[in-house]
Amino acid sequence: MPGPSLLDKRLLIVTGKGGVGKSSVSAALALLAARRGKRVLVCEVNAQERVAPLLGAPLAGPVVRQAAPGISTVNVTPPEAMREYGLMVLKFRTIYEAVFENRVVRFFLRVVPSLAELVMLGKILHEVRAEEGGRRRWDLVVLDAPATGHAVQLLRVPAALADTVPAGPLRREAERMRDLLVDPAVTSLSIVTLPEEMPVSESIDLDAQVRGVLGIPRGALFVNAMPEGRFSAEERARLERLAAEPAPLGPAARAAVLQAERAAEATRYAARARAALDLPAVVLPLLPVPVWGREAVERLAAAMEPGIA
Amino acid sequence: MGAVRESLRHKRIAVCVGSGGVGKTTVAAALGLQRALDGGRALVCTIDPARRLAAALGLDSLGNMESRVPDHKLAAAGLAPRGQLHAMMLDVKRTWDDLVARHAPDRQRQDRIFRNRIYQQLSSALAGSQEYMAMEKLYELSTERDYDLVVLDTPPTAHALDFLEAPDRILDFLGSETARLLLTPALGAGKVGLRLFQLGGSYIARTLSRFTGSDVLRDVAEFMAGFQGMYEGFKTRAAAVRALLAEPQVGFVIVSSPSPLSVDEALFFHEHLHAESMPVAGVVANRVTPDLWPGDGDPPGPEALARALGGRGEADRALAGRLALTLAEHQVLARADAREVERLFGGVPAPREVVPRLQRDVHDLSGLAELAARL
Repeated sequence: MPGPSLLDKRLLIVTGKGGVGKSSVSAALALLAARRGKRVLVCEVNAQERVAPLLGAPLAGPVVRQAAPGISTVNVTPPEAMREYGLMVLKFRTIYEAVFENRVVRFFLRVVPSLAELVMLGKILHEVRAEEGGRRRWDLVVLDAPATGHAVQLLRVPAALADTVPAGPLRREAERMRDLLVDPAVTSLSIVTLPEEMPVSESIDLDAQVRGVLGIPRGALFVNAMPEGRFSAEERARLERLAAEPAPLGPAARAAVLQAERAAEATRYAARARAALDLPAVVLPLLPVPVWGREAVERLAAAMEPGIA
Repeated sequence: MGAVRESLRHKRIAVCVGSGGVGKTTVAAALGLQRALDGGRALVCTIDPARRLAAALGLDSLGNMESRVPDHKLAAAGLAPRGQLHAMMLDVKRTWDDLVARHAPDRQRQDRIFRNRIYQQLSSALAGSQEYMAMEKLYELSTERDYDLVVLDTPPTAHALDFLEAPDRILDFLGSETARLLLTPALGAGKVGLRLFQLGGSYIARTLSRFTGSDVLRDVAEFMAGFQGMYEGFKTRAAAVRALLAEPQVGFVIVSSPSPLSVDEALFFHEHLHAESMPVAGVVANRVTPDLWPGDGDPPGPEALARALGGRGEADRALAGRLALTLAEHQVLARADAREVERLFGGVPAPREVVPRLQRDVHDLSGLAELAARL
């Protein structure tokens, strides 16, 4: 059973294998939180932007932009994050420009390893902490993180830098970020998977890394695109016999056999994921929609709501 | 039939590209397996932190070591290859180390680079490092080994272009004019003087070190100095890799799922390969929902199916309702997929193959063989 609601955290990290529906899950989480009166920011990381269109809004680009009532989105990119971070550290635009527009300096900043990841994550964590008029700017930040390998690479940067970089501003910043990422009162990382072999294997590996290398508190396992069990074993046997019939029966029987087979496979893989991962599982239905948009995300959010309390 | 396989018949290198989650790794493995079944010596090289190929090939560890998939494993899957299937997983760090060792003038310089903190982070931290090393390894495998076919599965890049541009980007900073300008005068003295500090005046240097800390700058300078003189070697080699990729013995295979985003990426990639005169040997639309009710007509409703069931002496109204719903939902997805596949094939004029979503996931050798048969 899920513990206290995921939506009561301040930073929700959503990751998983490529193509499993991370952005849709992120968008649905944002919708639910906004409906509870929270001000939500969804961050994508240097990605082909997906969340704003899923909410029916135009692309936000690298600047925070409102996508729906209570929900803003941003696609965090290295140059823009570097600029914001630079301005934050240096305070004055003119100094920033004098220093950072310098060709030599630009070159050096590119060579410092992990700096791009650090400033992007830094920008996101800054939004988590940001205050405006005596209260937090956002009640919840949802990080629609890159796929497995790249997500681990991004999220381990603060700890890696805190361990390897000599004392100085870079290390202090890295330490602050690491502390926020591992704080169970603030942060929670959820994994999205499909009920299929490869995504489930990858999720199990990923979870081990989250517990081991990253040490980030874990939230839920979202099993996305779960087909419903629609036909009994006895019906399935009948349908297999009917699959060779002429139309309309044959095609309908073939569609049903495919559905039944897929549902049976999915049930096995979902069970495997649940057994291997000691995480509350939230099962989301396979939605037969031709194009993903606001309506599909609404349906996903509705399906998700009971599971995340 | 077998258009992609046919098009790869005379290739020695196949590079599978496409966005994450489209089944690139399994397509790569299937292409390798196919060549082995046809009597060739094939190697599949993957770069994947989650070890998907390892799982698919039933291997426990693939760390930069080429290992042959044992015949008994293939036999257990009902396969009797006339050739051999080998597999390996790219170890990015080790490939970097090999590259440095190859180009370092002496042992001392090599150790100095290995000890540098910036270098130690390079392999995992530097954007494009994985992609660069994949290309590097591919070059080594194709020039120093005698496989009939090397299949490279590319990293799951966020952006398709990262893969092709990574070597240039990395070389650009290892050897840019800026770096030489900065470091040349400091060489030889045994210490690293940063001309940056003179060049921009202490004002810039102070401000910059407020940003990163001055020790970090020193590490970077040491790192750059370590690479001094090796740049030409790196550059020559990268140019050779690049030239190799444009040779007729190479074939890029663009893999896409029918999702609009992955088709966008595939088209973008194709455009870029085309612009660089890199040979595209095939395009694979993977995991496509089969069209079970071709034509424009609506699929049958519950009544029609109830009548048809009744006619077969299997009257069952409830089942007819669920059948109608299932077929209708299936067709929504099939038609959406068909539109995307059409867009993909319209944009990529190359031998093409549609692989329907297989009834089971591909995660073992027999699954791979089934996939291979469709390519």
